[in-house]
Amino acid sequence: MDDLESELRMAGEEQGENESSDDDESINRKRIKKPNLPLAPPLFKETTREIGFHKTTRNCLQHIREVLLHHRWQDAAEYMASYSQTLEDTAANMPQLYAEIIWRIGTEILHHHPDSKLEDYNSFYERVKHSGVKHYLKVCLEHSFHLLVNGQFEDAKRQLSIAESWRYGKLSAGQSQRIRLIQAYSGFLDYFIWCDKKATASSTDEYDAAVNQEMHSYFRQSSVNLKEIMKLPGVWDPFVLSYIDMLEFYNDHEGAVKVLYDYAYDNSFPPNPNAHVYLYRYMKKHNHPLKKLLKVLKILHTLVPSHELMPEYCSLLVQSEKEGDLQKALGVVLDLLDYSSWRSNLDVWNHLMNIIKRLKMKKQWLKTFAVEMGYRKDWWLAIHFSTFQARKDSAENRELLEVKSFVVRAFSPCYTSIYCGKAARKGVTAKAQKAKRNPKQLRNIRRLRRESGQQSQD
Amino acid sequence: MDEEQTGGYSDICGQCGEVDWGVSDEGRFYCRSCHNVIERTKEVVDTNTLMIGTSRVSSISKGTRRKKLEQGRAWMVCEGFQFILKHQAEALLAMGVCPQFKDDVLCQFWRMYLQKSRQAYTKNPVHDGKFRLRSQGSGESDSAPESSVMSDSMMSVSETDGDGDWASGGGSVSGHTSDGGSSVCSGSIDAVSYLTPRQRRSQGLMSMPKTLALCHLALLWAREAITLADLLRFVNGGHIPYVNAYEDFPEEMRLYGRDSLIFRVESIPSYSHLHKEAQTLAVFLELPLFPPITLDCLLHPSLLTLRYLTEVNLPDELHDWVCRIMEKAGMESSVTFEPMRSRSPLPHYDVQAAALIIIAMKLLFKLDDHTEWDLSSDASDQNKENPDGNSFNLRRWYKAMQTALTTAARRQQDNIARKHWKPQKPLYTSKKDKSVVLKRRRIAEQLQLSFQKLSGSPVAPPSSPPSSFCFRWGEEEGEEVWDGPSLHHQTLDSSVRQSGASLQPSNPEYWHPALRACKPRFCKSHYAEVEATLPRMYVWLLDLFSFLLGVKPGCVYEEVLKVERRFLGSSKSQPRARATPRETQPKKLPKRKQTRKTCSR
Repeated sequence: MDDLESELRMAGEEQGENESSDDDESINRKRIKKPNLPLAPPLFKETTREIGFHKTTRNCLQHIREVLLHHRWQDAAEYMASYSQTLEDTAANMPQLYAEIIWRIGTEILHHHPDSKLEDYNSFYERVKHSGVKHYLKVCLEHSFHLLVNGQFEDAKRQLSIAESWRYGKLSAGQSQRIRLIQAYSGFLDYFIWCDKKATASSTDEYDAAVNQEMHSYFRQSSVNLKEIMKLPGVWDPFVLSYIDMLEFYNDHEGAVKVLYDYAYDNSFPPNPNAHVYLYRYMKKHNHPLKKLLKVLKILHTLVPSHELMPEYCSLLVQSEKEGDLQKALGVVLDLLDYSSWRSNLDVWNHLMNIIKRLKMKKQWLKTFAVEMGYRKDWWLAIHFSTFQARKDSAENRELLEVKSFVVRAFSPCYTSIYCGKAARKGVTAKAQKAKRNPKQLRNIRRLRRESGQQSQD
Repeated sequence: MDEEQTGGYSDICGQCGEVDWGVSDEGRFYCRSCHNVIERTKEVVDTNTLMIGTSRVSSISKGTRRKKLEQGRAWMVCEGFQFILKHQAEALLAMGVCPQFKDDVLCQFWRMYLQKSRQAYTKNPVHDGKFRLRSQGSGESDSAPESSVMSDSMMSVSETDGDGDWASGGGSVSGHTSDGGSSVCSGSIDAVSYLTPRQRRSQGLMSMPKTLALCHLALLWAREAITLADLLRFVNGGHIPYVNAYEDFPEEMRLYGRDSLIFRVESIPSYSHLHKEAQTLAVFLELPLFPPITLDCLLHPSLLTLRYLTEVNLPDELHDWVCRIMEKAGMESSVTFEPMRSRSPLPHYDVQAAALIIIAMKLLFKLDDHTEWDLSSDASDQNKENPDGNSFNLRRWYKAMQTALTTAARRQQDNIARKHWKPQKPLYTSKKDKSVVLKRRRIAEQLQLSFQKLSGSPVAPPSSPPSSFCFRWGEEEGEEVWDGPSLHHQTLDSSVRQSGASLQPSNPEYWHPALRACKPRFCKSHYAEVEATLPRMYVWLLDLFSFLLGVKPGCVYEEVLKVERRFLGSSKSQPRARATPRETQPKKLPKRKQTRKTCSR
């Protein structure tokens, strides 16, 4: 630590020798007063040879940051007006950086400013686009996002097509990626326009060949772009959904299933549970056989054991007549119950109860159970059937209490007494609270409690 | 009929000199007296393509005229500086500087500069061969011997021919042989010579900071009440043209290319830089002894300290003590500047006055973080006992001053953050850059407008009228900028006691920072090292004056030491006051040397 300190000082002093004494002095003062905080290095530092213009812009940026942190958007806009002169910096070694700062902060101010209108956004984006070539595509994309969010599909589409036709210098790697994204989004926007057309066509009720033709052309444009982006590995959920929607409309079910299959099962893509969900939903909607559905859900189960489709998976497994599926269902339910969000879900416990009921009809059900319980053996009962849990369940959901009581009775008498005994007593106290106002009842309840206490001691 | 068609086109015909235009059937203009057809067509207003049509026609009709303007008049860099100086002088005149300042002082200084740097009024001009002097220049320029400019201008003020010089001064150098090649990369003729390393090193050439240095010297010569700190403040506030001063150049003096490197301003010089610049300039001009600063001149320490006492809201009674210190230090008489004597540097009048006030405060209140607070407690006790008592309470003053200082500092920060530096007409260093620079200018301007619309207020900070004072102290509270009640009528009763026939400070001690060995050639300022060891109140006072004058605190500190040296040195005969810095002591020994100081008299 000390060494570092002295090294820093050395560097500072060497610098100081070249400068005038006044400057050296300011460095020294800084060193004394500087707090030892792990701050990120400032973007623009106060240097000894700083010109007045840079001092102004540095101060201005600092002021902007301050007012942004205090949510004073009006003042921020005021400072931004004078900050825009940085673009004209003649000694700039990083004009792109200035342009980016103005872009980012400017959009932030526009988003929060109470009086900002869509025209302000439009004019701002237009100007920022032309302040530096490096960000042109990104700004175009952001601009069209903004229009998209505001429902201006045609304008958003126009922005994207402008960006598509834009060329500057050699096509760099980042640039070509951005172009692909832009194309995908323009396909996405085509889909939105297609949706609009569809809605108008269905509302008129008459078959209009021209409208149909137009719709079809949008579909073709869109599908070309969307197909292109889906070839690349990535997460393309909205694009896939819109493409499927269109294919479905034109009754190309095989094509749709193929797209979904590719999206879900291509190994080069990042693992994406949604892909399987989409595939499952589509298959379910179009009445695919149970076996196929189970296959899809099985993968989803390995990816996300706590997925909201798992109860459905469970019931499907119970429905299937195949040997061993019941055991699988038991595994799925137990997996679900490991997650706190499902722990007090009545549905899941109901599933478990049903499975136990069905398993009990078989001979070696305890053995099957032991296999599935496996490593859970030590803690499973303790976590689900504690007195605390009993109190909570009785307060929140009596039905759940009953279902759980059934389950615990099937496993262990010891936990049954803990769970059900306490629960019973709790039920009594709940009655007591209700009857507090009536002393006669209260006396009765006290007697009841004494009795139950004796019972548990026995 | 034809007049309607020609649209009032009234240029003279190139062939015959008549103004009698007609429009032919093809829509072309022809001269009716000599039938000369010119390159101008009738402006066809096509209702369908209104926009395109007019732009096409106007571009044709402007073609010839624009070309003429593009080249402009051939001009020299020093002419540009002359314009800037003229504007600066006019701004100063508008502020109330005496009218002789411009023609009799600054103009003469400028002529001397031109002569010394061999740009004009000389038989041996620096740009030999590039241009020759016109013989009918202003009277004394080349017919008289070279030394005449200085002697005439300095001695016989009434004889100079006033305003005309401003035009003819530039005229005398503009009779050059036009060099077509040089005008490609710069608007002026000799910009290239300003940018060669050799010339820049020679220090003789004009630069933007030097215009201010020249103004400062001229103000000093005219014994005007504007100190260097004031001058810089006015420049910062935009009251004196400096940033983008070239925008006021006449239309025909076109500025581009290399000129931009000379005239572009992106920084306002610091106090110390300008001071140094003024000193070297004075030596370069070989100026004689400056007029003495007497008691009737506002630059005299006596009056300047009074001004600063008012500014920082200290009681008037303190001025007596300041004057006593000034007397002791022998600073009443030797307050002028003789450039040609090496031991007479250009005095910092303003910083010196601040130092005198600080020493007076130190003498009365000691400023060691204890005594001054004890004294102010005494003062408040006195005021309580005696309801009519009007004793100066340092604590109250400190509180009021601190608040005012914080507000002013914040205001200054805000003004810095909003300062607009970039010109309306952008400069570009080469033709290649032109389009980029213009585009950036346009985008910045549009962004500025759109954010202005959002904020709903103008971007430029509301410019206040030029004022010598930063703070406003007064009785009435209604004013917008009001820093607190005025304390100038308060008395120093509680901190002074009667001893025999004279008043003595009730605080008997005076301290001096630790003495140390110092090589005046090599070390410049020790303030950074000693700052931590100084009493906080003293440091705060230094900071206050450094803020007021726009200088570094170290600069005030050094000046205080300098004045203390003279002040204490003069009272060396007193057995107890022995704090002469001639003794050298090891650095680490006593942190602060306490010396008893009794004020004689």
